[in-house]
Amino acid sequence: MNREAAIARSRLYSNIRAYFTDRGYLEVETPTLSADLIPEATIDNFGTTFINEFRTSRELYMIPSPEIFIKKLLAEGSGSVFEISKCFRNCEQLGSIHNPEFTMLEYYTVDFDETDSIALTCDMLRKTALGSCPESVLADFETMTVREAVKRYAGGIDLDELQNPRDLRKAASDLGLIIPGPESWDDTFNRIFINFVETSLPKDHPVCLTDYPRQIECLAEAKGNYRRRWELYIGGIEVANCYLEERDADVARDYYRREYQKLLSLRSDNGKTIPDVDESFCDTIGALPKCSGVAMGLDRLLMLETGAGEIDDVLLFPLSNIL
Amino acid sequence: MIKAGQIDKGTALLIKGQPFICVEREFVNPGKGSAFVRLKLKSPTTGQVLQETIKSQDSVEDINVENMDYQYMYNDGENFHMMNVDTYDQFEVPMANFEGYELLMKDGETYRCTVYNDEILDIQIPSKVVYLVAEAEEAIKGDTVQGATKFVTTETGLRVRVPIFIKQGEKIRVNTETKEYLERVNG
Repeated sequence: MNREAAIARSRLYSNIRAYFTDRGYLEVETPTLSADLIPEATIDNFGTTFINEFRTSRELYMIPSPEIFIKKLLAEGSGSVFEISKCFRNCEQLGSIHNPEFTMLEYYTVDFDETDSIALTCDMLRKTALGSCPESVLADFETMTVREAVKRYAGGIDLDELQNPRDLRKAASDLGLIIPGPESWDDTFNRIFINFVETSLPKDHPVCLTDYPRQIECLAEAKGNYRRRWELYIGGIEVANCYLEERDADVARDYYRREYQKLLSLRSDNGKTIPDVDESFCDTIGALPKCSGVAMGLDRLLMLETGAGEIDDVLLFPLSNIL
Repeated sequence: MIKAGQIDKGTALLIKGQPFICVEREFVNPGKGSAFVRLKLKSPTTGQVLQETIKSQDSVEDINVENMDYQYMYNDGENFHMMNVDTYDQFEVPMANFEGYELLMKDGETYRCTVYNDEILDIQIPSKVVYLVAEAEEAIKGDTVQGATKFVTTETGLRVRVPIFIKQGEKIRVNTETKEYLERVNG
């Protein structure tokens, strides 16, 4: 047994629980099995079958994030909440920084926007850190917009001037990227991001990338060409994702329909799980209070805090050991 | 053509007319984006290394390679000497292109090799291999801490961290990718 890893995890969890409970957040426990999921085309799911005593069956899905349940609580007036939850994502490579079953910390703060969540997250990391935690996790966050990061690391190109898919594609080719066929703006953006930005981010201090392009659709509020969300990179690893939560039911409904079509087109011919979605959840979104939610991968945070090289080093039973 | 997402370690690709072998591949998902794969490709003939990050859905030109069994005879410090077990043809493979393989391959053992145009592009070493413990440090007396380890050296010269109960002359199973001890093998 990897006793040190177990002790580190247990300490970190109790520090995190104390941090949020002391600040008035309610710890909640929501299900990991759900009858429907929020459509997210690029996150593959695990499906399973519930069979009742009359042998009638119903498909259920392992949650990729507790978001769907936590938002129901927020819409009912729960106030600020947090949860440490098991989450499940399929079709990812085992090892390094992925295990199909992993632990997510999600915290939603009522009346906060995404900028308030940056300060909260920085403070939380410092106050909950393990004794072994290196300075690279505890240093001040460097905050930059995705537009600034692209300018800095991808040959000075300006996303504001490249809103047309053709223009962005030309810029990507000029940077030396080969784009084999027609593709959407966000796909080309991701090529640039993965090849030039993500690999260049400083590793000696946390970097908070804010204002992702609006074309990358999700349930974060839009503002001009961008969306009010951020991702936190520590040591070059993506650790957390934050939204100013979308609260417009119609915008959410549009998202649901488009994203589900995209999901179907990516999964219809390869045997991947196609989850049920329930559009009435968009009314829940319409009933949300103003709030900002953060999802943080605790296995990755543990890796960084203990200096582990692989996610398997912080798991007692990594799946890669048995597969 | 092959989809980038199906490229595995050892897959042979044709890049600008030159054969390359994939030596490392890692899937990366940008936040909310489609999957990408980061590839490290190595030319087995020139040793040139390429890094490519492409979408899993992109198509790449792969090579029709043959898989043949070769016996590893010995190395002279520069080349591995390999013999095709069907034709008895002998080949020299530059050791520099297969760094560290001399610590994993056993003299006389047969390995499946990827062959293209009469050239060995890749030597496939099973992910779990049983080795003989050729040298073992004595466990430090009184060291009864749970999970205590020591180093041993296999007959191929590989140093492996093992539990203290492993003795010289015993056999151990090793993960050849991580070079980590897996278990003691009896008999």
